[in-house]
Amino acid sequence: MLAEFKHTLRRLRGPVVGWALGVALYGLLMALMFPSIKQIENLEEFMSLYPEEMTAFFENLYAMATPMGYLDVYFFAYMHLVIGILAISGGAGLLAADEERGILDLVLAHPVSRTGLFWGRFLGLAVALALILAAGWLSWVLPAGSVGFELTPFEILLPFLPLFAVLLFFAALALLLSMLVPAARSAGMLTGAVLVGNFLLIGLSNINDDLEPLMKFTPLYYYQGGLAVEGLEGSWLGGLLLAALLLAAVAWLLFLHRDIRVGGERSWVLPRIGRRFRLRQRG
Amino acid sequence: MKCGEILGFLGPNGAGKTTTIRCLLDLIRPQAGTVRVLGIDPRKDPVAVRSRVGYLPGELNLEGNLTVEGVLRYFNDLRGRRVEWGYVRQLASRLDLNLSIPIKNLSKGNKQKVGLVQALMARPELLLLDEPTSGLDPLMQQEVYRLLREAQANGATVFFSSHVISEVEALADRVAIIREGVIVEEVEPGSLTDLSLRRIRVRFREPVDVKPLVELDGVSLVARDGREVTVQVEGEVDRLIKALAAFPVSDIQTQHLSLEEVFLAYYRVGEKEER
Repeated sequence: MLAEFKHTLRRLRGPVVGWALGVALYGLLMALMFPSIKQIENLEEFMSLYPEEMTAFFENLYAMATPMGYLDVYFFAYMHLVIGILAISGGAGLLAADEERGILDLVLAHPVSRTGLFWGRFLGLAVALALILAAGWLSWVLPAGSVGFELTPFEILLPFLPLFAVLLFFAALALLLSMLVPAARSAGMLTGAVLVGNFLLIGLSNINDDLEPLMKFTPLYYYQGGLAVEGLEGSWLGGLLLAALLLAAVAWLLFLHRDIRVGGERSWVLPRIGRRFRLRQRG
Repeated sequence: MKCGEILGFLGPNGAGKTTTIRCLLDLIRPQAGTVRVLGIDPRKDPVAVRSRVGYLPGELNLEGNLTVEGVLRYFNDLRGRRVEWGYVRQLASRLDLNLSIPIKNLSKGNKQKVGLVQALMARPELLLLDEPTSGLDPLMQQEVYRLLREAQANGATVFFSSHVISEVEALADRVAIIREGVIVEEVEPGSLTDLSLRRIRVRFREPVDVKPLVELDGVSLVARDGREVTVQVEGEVDRLIKALAAFPVSDIQTQHLSLEEVFLAYYRVGEKEER
């Protein structure tokens, strides 16, 4: 497991450095722009010029002059979509991509258990995501004092925790789907669609109250974003992490009990289940 | 399989050679039957099996971004760093393999060498090799045969699949022939010559009556075009050569049939006889 963990981190070294730099530079730029937003005196009046639906969709626009609102609007409101690209592609390709390229066959011919391989890689992906978020955190913490960002490093850390949990959730969902659908890219596309769809629905539920009860069944409902600065919802955070682990555990069970392909994409699992059922009936 | 032997696993494409090897490593699960490798059920304890086995897949794919050394060190990590690195260098040197080149820049033959080194480097008790000399030039094939015989001399058992009769003849102590997932015959390598089919094209200086030739045991007429005759010979060609001595021959060309063609001819006859 340790060998696979280290190997996964080694493989993700390039993406981690690239994403960490990108997220950190963006965070730094936004942090340095905070004084100019803070100085706007009639921000509420300015915001009221926007259509009501728009200010409702992006919940915290009116609180933009406060550090919490600014963090939420300029970073946490959509960073789960941005870094989600890496989390989803990483999750979908964690095992399936290697299988499609025919690499997994030889790896699993070595003395490594499927369990060790699976969790070693999953842990590697989780740590890679955490490293990118750590760079993002630093990009807000380092200039905080000089730009009048009146939040402590710990307060700034709080919203990064739900962000990590939600990224891990979608990485695990992509991983699970990669065990079910024929190709890693299909799993990535499906998970991406779920993430974007959920993001839009959450925004729309701020406009249409009828949607809100439904949102409780979606993962992003439990994503606090920048609001976590005011106090972390432990049960939401724990729930997201638990759901991520649950999805990963189901993916692990599926991985334990299936054949490893030599290469290429496979066919849909559902027709195969039907075939197995028919064979059993004949048997 | 007997411990310490080299068993050739011979069969045409799609016969089930690779499937068998992948079952032995628990990469795929058989729908029925049992598998034992070194006395262990690979489904129950795959890691114990794999720690004692070296495997070379028929379709070798490696991470393109790593160097040869990077890939081998990764596999060594998976083996708990048991590999003696001096031995890796020795193997690479014998196979003329540069360890510092990225995998993506390697030719098919050189990738095959990486596959062979990773299979041999841990000095496993059992070697499962799927088409071990695929893509290698004849000189390198000979070096691989030497390496495998050395592994055998050091106590290893070698199980290799091939669809090249001459390779199996050169290397194996015993040969199992597989067709459609079933071992149809276990033979000594020497008797593979009986299995081999040749197509011989003879050009005569003048028109001749070839009846005495095609009436020879194991010889059949394939085509006749003027002074040129093509016959198929099953087993040794000694009788045909001696019979040809009485003819005015201007040229002879011999062609070995592929294993697929041999199987098609050999087992089609078998099926007819069974009926």
